Amino acid sequence: MKALLIDDERLARNELRRLLVKHPDIAVVGEAANADEARARAAELRPDLLFLDIQMPGDDGFALLESLEPPLPLVIFTTAYDEFAVKAFEFNALDYLLKPVDPARLAAALEKLRTHAEAAAGGSAASHERPARLAPEDKVFVREGERCWFVEVKSIRLMESEGNYTRVHFGDAQPQLFRSLNAMEERLDPRGFFRANRRQIINLAWIDRIEPWFSGGLLVHLKGGPKVELSRRQAQAFREQMSL
Amino acid sequence: MESVTSPFAYTVDAGDRHRAKERLYVICQLAGWSFLLVFDLIFVRLFGEEKKVDSSTCSIAEILALGLLITHYARHWLTKWGWKELGWRPLLPRIVGMAALLSFIWMLTGYTLHYIVLRNPWAAKYSPGTIIAVSILDGSLLMGGWLGIYFFYHLFDRYNRLRIEQLRLAATVKEAELRALKSQINPHFIFNSLNSLRGLIDENPDRARQAVMQLANLLRYSLQSGQLETVPLEDELSTVNDYLALEQVRHEERLRVRLDIAPGALGLSIPPMLLQTLVENAVKYGIAPRREGGEIAIIARCERDHLRLQVTNPGTLAAGGGSTGVGLRNAADRLGLIFGAHATLNLREDPPGCVVAEVILPLETMAAAREPARIRDEAGPAARPAETKAALRA
Repeated sequence: MKALLIDDERLARNELRRLLVKHPDIAVVGEAANADEARARAAELRPDLLFLDIQMPGDDGFALLESLEPPLPLVIFTTAYDEFAVKAFEFNALDYLLKPVDPARLAAALEKLRTHAEAAAGGSAASHERPARLAPEDKVFVREGERCWFVEVKSIRLMESEGNYTRVHFGDAQPQLFRSLNAMEERLDPRGFFRANRRQIINLAWIDRIEPWFSGGLLVHLKGGPKVELSRRQAQAFREQMSL
Repeated sequence: MESVTSPFAYTVDAGDRHRAKERLYVICQLAGWSFLLVFDLIFVRLFGEEKKVDSSTCSIAEILALGLLITHYARHWLTKWGWKELGWRPLLPRIVGMAALLSFIWMLTGYTLHYIVLRNPWAAKYSPGTIIAVSILDGSLLMGGWLGIYFFYHLFDRYNRLRIEQLRLAATVKEAELRALKSQINPHFIFNSLNSLRGLIDENPDRARQAVMQLANLLRYSLQSGQLETVPLEDELSTVNDYLALEQVRHEERLRVRLDIAPGALGLSIPPMLLQTLVENAVKYGIAPRREGGEIAIIARCERDHLRLQVTNPGTLAAGGGSTGVGLRNAADRLGLIFGAHATLNLREDPPGCVVAEVILPLETMAAAREPARIRDEAGPAARPAETKAALRA
């Protein structure tokens, strides 16, 4: 696994590198001292794993994740003492390390990561080239206020365009994603997602039932509540795709 | 109006409270005197002479109405003389005297009204002297009872309010203590330092040993400073130097430090952790968020009758970036507690792009302050500032 270390303190990066020597399957391919450097390194090195400090000068760790092109690498946060951040992670299936990093704790986090990576082996998270389309297990990072999520693409039932942002509906939350609906459409698998109209993309796996609507259109009911209207033209395209 | 002793109690509901008390007063007055009226009438009907019942009823109503009027006006004077604020010891003789006086006025107006104005015939078996003396004694007991109930209520009410105020005060003190605790060294800093320190152990063992001492000094100072009112600037400065040296381990070339301390200022007393708070703030908002870092300057000057402390860092005030201002507010609160209005703490941008935190402390008050105990070992502080200064510049 290729890892990128992101921390504004040189000594902190050194120390983590030293601790990772004991884990030969983790190859540290690069370091970054701030979000801008990290974006460049990530684009160039395509790491599978980020060790990410939250507090950094300029953009913080969360802002960096929001701006990274999905699919996201696996992320282990490192933080010294940040109650809010730690609380935010506890709702997520990802890991964090408290600095100074306990070697046993690091080993446990990496073990968890390996089983996770094996489970998602079919996915593209561990592949070395940037895939054109996101796999259902790939994750996008969204946050709203103090809450943040790593959302699997397959659990998103609806995406709505809001200018340059996209509102993502999943679970009982609907935070804003930091990219446009058009940009998202390009990355989504058309077999799983359908552009219902100018403003909305629906996840076909979340369709509950469909009813005929005015002038040859369709009304799609999604599990969990939202209803989406399809125009006659879109309804035609939808029927064609579904009949295949 | 009630005089409210504490400025923060009852500011919102004072009007409501006043109205409620007025209502209670009216109810008690009417109920009390009505009870007396009913009681007296029953007494007259049971034991009085058959043919005098009507005239007795009339005079009883008259005298009780007068009593109500007199006590009502007396209340105005009692409030005006501030008797409601007295304790029960000074109140007791006043109540006795006042009861006699009110009773005298009561009987005087009562008999005047009944016999001279209304010209009723003298109906009693006894001489007017005896009757008036007995009436005044009787009236004194009634008035005494009235005053007793009145002041008992007010004593009780005041006792309750006092207790509430004490509780509020205790809560405020607790909150201040808590905030003071929180204003000690930032845990984020401690854990980051420990992390850097572990990195340093392999890379530069000598510097790592030094950093352990600096962290120990800083923690000791922070833990003990709560017990002291003031410390010499020299001691505080030495702690600040340790702190900055540790921050330099973390931020390396991003943090540069300039000290400009007037030699005469070193012996002056300042509240502990004051300068430290300002410097921590400067690092947090001036250095940590800036990729290129910057310079922090600490300036101390003795000017005529005050000590001027300045801490500058690069940055702007508007882009406070998540600043809660808690650190500085705590520092300002503490200054207020120790020096009153003579000390000031302000934060300004001067020149643009450079934030200056400035504290001005009056010299006389500091000289009058208790001889501060030293936190550090006696040999240490004198030598350390210069030494650390050199280390910082290196």
